[in-house]
Amino acid sequence: MTGATIQFEHVSKRYDLRAKGASSAVTDLSLSVPAGKICVLVGPSGCGKTTSLKMVNRLIEPTSGRILVGGEDTASKDVTELRRGIGYVIQQTGLFPHQTIGENVAVVPKLLGWPAIRRRERAEELLSLVGLDPARYRDRYPQQLSGGERQRVGVARALAASPPIMLMDEPFGAVDPIVRDRLQDEFLGLQEDLAMTILFVTHDIDEAIKMGDLVAVMQAGGNLAQFGPPDEILAAPADAFVARFVGADRGLKRLSLTVVGDVPLQSPVTARPGDDAAQARRRVIADPFPFLLMVDDANRPLGWVRPEDIPTAGTLTGDLAVGSSPLLDRRATLKDALSLLLDADVQAGIAVDRQRSVLGLVTADMIAERMRDGAHVVPDESYPLESPEP
Amino acid sequence: MNWDWIRGNVGAIAAATVDHVVLTSIAVAVGFVLSLGFALLIHRDRRFYGPISGLTGVLYTIPSLALFALLVPITGLSLLTAEIGLVSYTLLILTRHIVAGLDGVPDEIVESADGMGFSASQRLVQVDLPLSMPLIVAGLRIATVTTIGLVMITALIGEGGLGNLMLRGFNFRNYTAVYVGAIVTVGLAVVADLAIVAIGRVGTPWTRRR
Repeated sequence: MTGATIQFEHVSKRYDLRAKGASSAVTDLSLSVPAGKICVLVGPSGCGKTTSLKMVNRLIEPTSGRILVGGEDTASKDVTELRRGIGYVIQQTGLFPHQTIGENVAVVPKLLGWPAIRRRERAEELLSLVGLDPARYRDRYPQQLSGGERQRVGVARALAASPPIMLMDEPFGAVDPIVRDRLQDEFLGLQEDLAMTILFVTHDIDEAIKMGDLVAVMQAGGNLAQFGPPDEILAAPADAFVARFVGADRGLKRLSLTVVGDVPLQSPVTARPGDDAAQARRRVIADPFPFLLMVDDANRPLGWVRPEDIPTAGTLTGDLAVGSSPLLDRRATLKDALSLLLDADVQAGIAVDRQRSVLGLVTADMIAERMRDGAHVVPDESYPLESPEP
Repeated sequence: MNWDWIRGNVGAIAAATVDHVVLTSIAVAVGFVLSLGFALLIHRDRRFYGPISGLTGVLYTIPSLALFALLVPITGLSLLTAEIGLVSYTLLILTRHIVAGLDGVPDEIVESADGMGFSASQRLVQVDLPLSMPLIVAGLRIATVTTIGLVMITALIGEGGLGNLMLRGFNFRNYTAVYVGAIVTVGLAVVADLAIVAIGRVGTPWTRRR
């Protein structure tokens, strides 16, 4: 399953002011979502983000402009056929209360005329995929599930016919923050494998930054205020509206976009018990970071030694190591790293890999410097997500 | 109570009961089909609500005796006359209940069904009507029990099922026949009501599991 591009070309939706209807207008929206990317539409209520989303599956018809999915004009396709090829997840889930979970998940396959056995197999496969035991959940009704479980079913249902694109309207908006966080993580995990093209609506800038490969900030009247990768939006807001919308703490928010493994780490002076003390002492005094990191044979950190505590002759012993630093998993965000560092005795965190071997040092100064540097490279797929194991 | 009369007329009582059930069933079935049509018209276009509501409302308020008196010159003393009257009285109740049921389908269900690519008729049959079941069942209960009572009146135009039994009982001062007619009618209403409730429960398993 691979995604298809979604392109908005000068799309507008105008409403007759006298007409009733809760939807907001959209003005000359042009944006393009590359295949396999998550594009988040974010903005205050009334900014037209949901209207924009619903124009893709034609629940709302544009007044003017075109929307292309996989290069094809959506207006030229049969509307039910178009919709069956687009996953759709909404905040209230919209699960059918009169159908079991298994039936709910297999709704689109049924519309597509799949045989019953294949529908059943697909439903079970999808329930497992979203972390629900099929044997336990298949025959229940939606009202027997918790909010978080219902949202998982909603996602499973949208995935049922392996659509190349997916529309998600505040999909995690109705669950509590802890469950939301977990659902977001799980969904990002799924997306790594599925690589669908996703249009995602939220009013929550933090969710937008977390979920989006691209973020489109919209403002009242359905105008696109800024469109770009989340780091760019945070580093360089296009105008006062965007700056206010992303918040005064946008510098801190940027920290949550970068993981420890992404920053160039400092190499501390290290030594093992049994190494020559005088030589280690010379190396430490020459280093801009004048502390010695004692490590064991597997390069795992034992603790710090101050230069004045290093014997002038003989060998080093493990009991010289005092105090330690926060150990930072290389997948930890800089935001989490910074908060650990501010709490620690030594304001240098030790980045470690899965085996707890030392990769290098992260200091609060390094993090601050990186944030000041607005022009740094935005992490994308050209940058290795996993730093190489030593 | 004249038990001998009852023993001697079991066949007639049974026949009157069957008649009663048939008259009621035809009325409710025809009434349901018409009401479903009305309700779907209203659901599709609200402008039909006023006229249909007005028509069924006026029919409902005409006293039953007066309605049959008005119909006899046109359709005679016939089954048709009886059923026209009986059906008329079911329309208001059934139409209102079906419309309320369809209106009660939550917006997000409608939106997700449309968004997943249901056609209008698929959504009606697979989503809207099943979710309207509880209200439709409630309407059918009222309509059926009301009709069972009204069938008695049609005795005056030569139909009437158990009503006929009672009418003859009054005329011949055979109060046993009057009692039997009344008791069996009440029993019939109770049984019909319970049967519809039971069918409704079987048809809506999702409403029972929490």
